Amino acid sequence: MSRERRRTRASVALPVVPETPEVPVPPAAPAPRRKKVVAEAPPPYLLDFFPPETEAGTRLVRFFDRLREGRLSTTRCAKDDLLHWPPRTACPRCHTEELEWVDLPDRGRLYAFSAVLAGAPQGMERDVPFAVGLVDLDGAPLRLFGRVDGRPWNELEIGATVRVESYEVPDGRVFYRFRAIG
Amino acid sequence: MNGRTVAVVGGATTKFGVRATTWSELAQEIGAALFRAVPDLRARDVDSLFVGAAMPERLAFQSHVAPLAAEQMGIRPTRVIQRTELACASGQSAIRSAYAAIASGLSDIAVAVGVEKMNLPSMAEANTAMACVMDRAWDGPAGATAPPFFAMVAQRHMLEHRTTEEQMAAVSEKNHRFANSNPNAQFYEKTFPRDKLLRLPVVAPPLRLGDCSSMTDGAAAVVLASEDVVRQFPGPKAWIRGTGQYSDFHNLAHAGSLTEWPGLKRAASEALEMARIGVRDLDFAELHDCFSISEIVEYEALGLCAPGEGGRFVEDGRSDLGGDIVVNPRGGLLGCGHPLGATGIAQAVEVFEQFAGTVPSARQVPNPEWALVHNLSGSANVHSVMVYRRGRAA
Repeated sequence: MSRERRRTRASVALPVVPETPEVPVPPAAPAPRRKKVVAEAPPPYLLDFFPPETEAGTRLVRFFDRLREGRLSTTRCAKDDLLHWPPRTACPRCHTEELEWVDLPDRGRLYAFSAVLAGAPQGMERDVPFAVGLVDLDGAPLRLFGRVDGRPWNELEIGATVRVESYEVPDGRVFYRFRAIG
Repeated sequence: MNGRTVAVVGGATTKFGVRATTWSELAQEIGAALFRAVPDLRARDVDSLFVGAAMPERLAFQSHVAPLAAEQMGIRPTRVIQRTELACASGQSAIRSAYAAIASGLSDIAVAVGVEKMNLPSMAEANTAMACVMDRAWDGPAGATAPPFFAMVAQRHMLEHRTTEEQMAAVSEKNHRFANSNPNAQFYEKTFPRDKLLRLPVVAPPLRLGDCSSMTDGAAAVVLASEDVVRQFPGPKAWIRGTGQYSDFHNLAHAGSLTEWPGLKRAASEALEMARIGVRDLDFAELHDCFSISEIVEYEALGLCAPGEGGRFVEDGRSDLGGDIVVNPRGGLLGCGHPLGATGIAQAVEVFEQFAGTVPSARQVPNPEWALVHNLSGSANVHSVMVYRRGRAA
């Protein structure tokens, strides 16, 4: 048996600490009133939901560059005639890394939607209530999930036409969302 | 089934709820509860420990939790020690891994434990952790979490099959009623009649608070033993007779129709075939009712009723005591709460105790022989199923 382990086995009775009687705690001085500060800074890296978008962090820079121009794009495997979502660096079917980029339609229809009325993650509490939905893109075999803006959630309908939009997040990154237009 | 047969020979759970305690303290508490509940278990005989924990890095700021849990529980594994992470199915994942280790001959006696501490002073922080279960970089920025996803399942089910909010409330009412016979349930001694459920606030339309399982702190553990050493445990047993798992997709773009869960069909058929029984042979099932609509879709995917008939199935009492099959007698995730890593193990504890006949009569399934346990994880993209058969005491 190791020395250390032996030492943890108390062969002598250790004094038992008596229960401390409850001492009334004097009332603390009132805290100075402070102006409530709302943190405007984005959450720390990796507590933020947005992906890395520059060459330092991703091989899909092209997606974000095109998105910055308002174009939603993705990768396609020409060999398998397979359109990917999200854009990829290797085809999940034939595993080639030779992929081409294609632009996606900028219109679609709501397949299903709901809204976040409570329980939003950090950084999104101020957006509540917000709608989210699955959108069938017009003319592409893809059903994308995203935020649905442009109308309160209780005025949305399945089948409503939405437009794809890009938007800038506070630190200069971009992302996409849908806007109900019909 | 190849390999050695494996039995669950005992188990325990802690109180589930909003617990004023840490992750490590929960591990100690379940260790103490397990050794009390299984008096034939000696710590030195446990050769392996599998720890189901979904996100201790985010919720308890702790990695490498398997040896931490071992130390808290007073176990020194000599064969296998590992954590299993599969979000909401992390607990069942621990049991399946223990089963595989024992069946292969690597382990003789293993403990599968699940521990999750989910309630933080900042619920937004806890919700952030939960949101990471989704494809964080692509679905995350839109605010994808479980409630809006399962709300879309409910919306489509209501559209395609005329399922009603009342039928979803019937799931929640039944499971909360069962939870009232389970003192370890988060919502023990809280009643949720259907009219009350239908007045609770909407979380993600059409889902109300009572349609959603909650953020829960809790732990559960089971002991598994090989057929070669099972005589050390002369009490009742739950023999693992089948298991199946299927991982279908991850990004929500690949969720398909939402209302059919082919992954569950596949995982369940594999488990039932392995057990050489059909779904009608089951006496009860612990199904993953993370949301009321989930249980409805699960009835259909398991073939307990025709597609689209799940709402009527629960409304007609066919998943209740006295019905075709008792679903979630423990109280389900809706009634017990859902400490991710502990849930699948607490379900196995219920199976063991139902077989042993030690649960309160308000939820005792009469003379059960076969049980199925199901967990889904994430956006119902992975399904994990186990089939158990009662083993009598020696």
